[in-house]
Amino acid sequence: MILNINKKQYTVDIQGHETLAEVLRDTCGLTGTKMSCNEAECGACTVIINKKAVLSCITLAADVEGEEITTIEGLSDGDNLHPVQQAFLDHGAVQCGFCSPGMILASKALLDQNPKPDQNDIAYALDGNICRCGGYLKIFDAVRAAAEEKSSVKDKKV
Amino acid sequence: MLLNPFKFHSPADLNEAVRLHNSLNNARILAGGTFVINTLKSLKNMGVKTPENIISLKKIREIKGISRSKEELSIRSMVTITELFESPEITENFPVLKTACRHIATNPIRNMATVGGNLTCRYTWTELGAILVALDAQMHFAGSDGREEIISLEEFFKNQARSSKILKSVSIKYEKNTRTSYQRVRKSSEVDVPLLAVCIKTNFIKKRFADTRVVINNGLEFARRDLKLETFLDSVEPGNQTAASALDHLDTSIYDTKEDDYKKAMFRVSIKNAVNEILQGSKK
Repeated sequence: MILNINKKQYTVDIQGHETLAEVLRDTCGLTGTKMSCNEAECGACTVIINKKAVLSCITLAADVEGEEITTIEGLSDGDNLHPVQQAFLDHGAVQCGFCSPGMILASKALLDQNPKPDQNDIAYALDGNICRCGGYLKIFDAVRAAAEEKSSVKDKKV
Repeated sequence: MLLNPFKFHSPADLNEAVRLHNSLNNARILAGGTFVINTLKSLKNMGVKTPENIISLKKIREIKGISRSKEELSIRSMVTITELFESPEITENFPVLKTACRHIATNPIRNMATVGGNLTCRYTWTELGAILVALDAQMHFAGSDGREEIISLEEFFKNQARSSKILKSVSIKYEKNTRTSYQRVRKSSEVDVPLLAVCIKTNFIKKRFADTRVVINNGLEFARRDLKLETFLDSVEPGNQTAASALDHLDTSIYDTKEDDYKKAMFRVSIKNAVNEILQGSKK
C-alpha cells in the first residue's frame, strides 16, 4: 500500500486494523504526531487530510490510501518554519509541547480556509484540541499573528 | 495495537458494498469512523469480541454530496457534518440543520463524522435525529436486491434504529412558510454532547401553527414526537401566553428521564424558548 504523506510516497506493509496514528509513528517514523487519549477527545493526533484537520487515532491507515496526508513534519521548508510554527515560537505558545503538533495543524487548516479568522473562528477551529497546560491565550495570539504574517506576505507579493 | 485484527474491505461502489455486507460473517460498516473505531477500541479494552470484517464506505462516490430536485433535498449518507454545515443549500433552506451542525462534537470530528453515521450509529444522544424527525426526513436504504427501500426517520427510530441495510441518503421535502427552532442543553465535557434537545417545526400560516412537529431527545432514547403538544399548538390562537400554556399540554411520559429529574425542568425551559422563538419568526 502507498500512503501520500507530506508530498512523499511511503510504501508500507500494514494490516487493515492499524490506525493512521500508529502507522505514522511506528511504520513511517513520523513521531511528531502524538498519541494521547486515543479516543478522539484530545486532538494530539491531529493531521490534515485533504485540507481538513482530522484525528489519526480514529482513522484507519488503509482507509486513506491515495489521499493527501500532512503531518507536522511536512510543514517546514528545510530550516524555514511554517508561519504558524514560527508564530507559536514567537509567542511562547508552547509549554509541555505535547499538544503543539495538533494545535499547529488545526491552525494551519483554519488559515488555509479562512486567512482572516476572528477570535470565534479560532476557538471554533481549535475546539478539538486540548492543551493540558492551559496555554490557550498564547496559542490564540499565535494563530492571530500567523494570520497577520501570512496576510502581509501575501500583500507584499501582490 | 489499538484495535483487534479484522479484515478491511474498501468497495468502490454501493453494489459491491451491499454484496460484501450480505455475504461476510460478522461484518460492520465503517463511515466516518468517529463512532465505530472508538467502539471497537472500547470493546477490545473490555475483552469483548469485535467484528471480523470492516467494510468502509469512504471510496463510494454515489453516497457523497448534496443535491436538490424541485421537491426535495437529498443528503447522501457520507456527507460529513462540516460539509452539511458549509452547504449553501442547507444555509438557505434548512438553517436549523446548520445550527445543529455547529454544535456537534469538535472540529476534527465534524470533519470526519457523517450524516449516515450520526443517524445509524445507535447512540441515542446524537444531534441530527431530533431535527431530521421534525423535518420528516426519509431514509433511503440500499436493498439487497438492488432496489431502494425508503422509511421515515421517525419509524427508523421507533424500530430502535435497527437496520441490516446500508443507508444511501436522507431526503427532506421543501415546505413553504416553515419556521423551526432547535434548543439544546449541553454537558460540560471534552466533547460537546447534548444532554437534551427540543426541535419544533411548523408551517406558520396566517399567524397560526400548522402541521407542527415537536421532537424531543432526552438522551436516553431515540428522538420522538410529542403528539399531544403538537395538537395543542396547531389548535390555539397564538398569543403572549402560548409558550407558557404549552407547558400544560406536554405528553409527560416522554419527558421522563428516569433518574435525571432536573432534565424535566430544563425541557420545560427549552420548549418555552422554542415556542417563543417560532412566534418571533426566527428560522434558526
